[in-house]
Amino acid sequence: MENHEFESGKKYAFMIFKVAWRNIWRAKVRSFIVIGSIVVGIWAGLLIIGFSFGMNNERTASAIGTTTGHAQIHHQDFDAEPLSTAVVADSSGTVALRQKVQALPFVSGTAQRTVLGGMINSAKSARAVRIMGVWPEEERIQTTLPDCMVEGDFFEADGRNRLLIGEKLAKRLGLKLRSKVVLTFQDAAGDLSRASFRISGIYKTLNATWDEFHVYVDHEDLEKSLGTPLVHEVLVRFEETVDTQEKANALAEVMPAGLAVKSWKQVRPELGFADDMMAIMLVLVLGIIMMALLFGIINNMLMAILERRRELGMLMAVGMNKRKLFMMILVETLMLGFVGGPIGILLGDLSTRAMMRIGIDLSSKQDGLAELGVQSMIYPEIVPSYYLIIAVMVITTALIASILPAIKALKLNPVEAIRGI
Amino acid sequence: MSKPVIEVKNLEKVYEGVVPVHAVNGISLTITQGEFTALKGPSGCGKTTLLNMLGGLDQPTKGSIAIGGVDITTLSENELIDFRLRNIGFVFQAYNLIPVLSAQENVSFIMLLQNRPKEEREQRARQLLEAVGLGDKEDKRPGQLSGGQQQRVAVARALASKPQFVLADEPTANLDSQSTANLLDIMERLNKEEGMTFVFATHDDRVIKKARRIISIEDGKVLSDN
Repeated sequence: MENHEFESGKKYAFMIFKVAWRNIWRAKVRSFIVIGSIVVGIWAGLLIIGFSFGMNNERTASAIGTTTGHAQIHHQDFDAEPLSTAVVADSSGTVALRQKVQALPFVSGTAQRTVLGGMINSAKSARAVRIMGVWPEEERIQTTLPDCMVEGDFFEADGRNRLLIGEKLAKRLGLKLRSKVVLTFQDAAGDLSRASFRISGIYKTLNATWDEFHVYVDHEDLEKSLGTPLVHEVLVRFEETVDTQEKANALAEVMPAGLAVKSWKQVRPELGFADDMMAIMLVLVLGIIMMALLFGIINNMLMAILERRRELGMLMAVGMNKRKLFMMILVETLMLGFVGGPIGILLGDLSTRAMMRIGIDLSSKQDGLAELGVQSMIYPEIVPSYYLIIAVMVITTALIASILPAIKALKLNPVEAIRGI
Repeated sequence: MSKPVIEVKNLEKVYEGVVPVHAVNGISLTITQGEFTALKGPSGCGKTTLLNMLGGLDQPTKGSIAIGGVDITTLSENELIDFRLRNIGFVFQAYNLIPVLSAQENVSFIMLLQNRPKEEREQRARQLLEAVGLGDKEDKRPGQLSGGQQQRVAVARALASKPQFVLADEPTANLDSQSTANLLDIMERLNKEEGMTFVFATHDDRVIKKARRIISIEDGKVLSDN
């Protein structure tokens, strides 16, 4: 008996699906319009997601690649006040620390830097800057800054007291390649020290703010004034840009006392904030798209109920109970989503993949984008987790959309509905 | 003597309004198993209202309706829906088939609602369609059938649930004379051979001529019962 009821239930469900499927195609034009709007809505949603992720990831990857790394190690006092005395460790201590860090399975490499607060003086003007004393070979391996040179080179030509300056700062100070500048900074003892440098390269990253505030010198040239090598910062690169906060935490666990680890989100909080904001904005955008679809689907189903009053009245008269009638309307509404959803996702996926190859050229907005740390060619990204979010949202929208038409159907008086009143 | 299928006592239906309308005004009657009964009368006489109340589609203002011994006026809405599914067959003037299902599926659908086993559904749907002369049209959808053929599918659907009786509201109103004759022959045969009780609400003389009992209604009252 139970088996037979189960079989009947299965057959009934199959019949309901069959009726729903065929009913959709009774009003072809109307159904095509609703399904089309679902397809376009999802397609547009996926493109927006792909574009936003592409832009944001570009900015993040650029920041991590050129300047920040995935994580940074400093003396814990350095974050409070970046004094020249707040070093990570002495030379041998730094070597041991870096070996320990590089032994971690998720770490791909490290680079050390001297970081000093100071002033840059040109013949025209002076600005506060952060002086980055780098080991050029390490920077070449661990960062993409050498690829950002617009003039000169990245400490490749022979010479002494060479300095790399951001394009924006160079313009502000009226400096060109080979111009002479004077740097003022704290030495190892905390006393002020001055040294003259000659510009050997002008760089331009995607972050104009960084370019305006950072100059690069060879650590050897800096040590002549400092008297000793000072390592204030160890940049750490991970194998992949995933779970970076968790990896930074794992890194912190192996740190000796007195050292602090910051993930790229902590070093550059504005990038992390942009990440979080983008996720919220995308859900909002998808929500708005789904709201528009909701009203379209409700309208379509209300029309369908109105057109099929006699049929629904007959079903109620012959003994179809309210639960089954509700299910029938629900399945039919869901079916619209089940048809439109996959087509929209497929189209969105194909379009995003196509644009991933071609890229979206926004060179007309190049300067504005540079202020945001974004380059003018945007390459959208596929974000599989959002496919699931969209699928859930479409089903939820269809479920909500079915409620009003189903209630309308349940309120039909069979006698009046059969007569078409 | 045949057992009563429908027993109606002092049935009244008043539609409230500025001037209350007594659509059915104190009707009492008994319909026994195997009857082929026509409720006749002019438009607005109350025959369709009476038929709707007999079918549990409309609630009386006063009186009782017992079907197979069960007073349906005391049933809740859900109980009434289930009661209709298991005890009453309906044939409507406009056929009211599900246009997206084939003739066979239209007939089977009622049995699916009753949770009947697959073999029974298929066998009975086939038998019934053959009985109404549509054995070769079971895969056709309503739109591919003539009006007369659609009404014959509706008769097969009404019988599919093995009801105690079939209520038919103006079943021939949309049919030509040939289709009407065919439909009436089929229903008469089902009545005689299978003992199915039919109650018609009609003012079609062709139906009335076939009926073995004619109840004339006027102003919501039984005028004659022969």
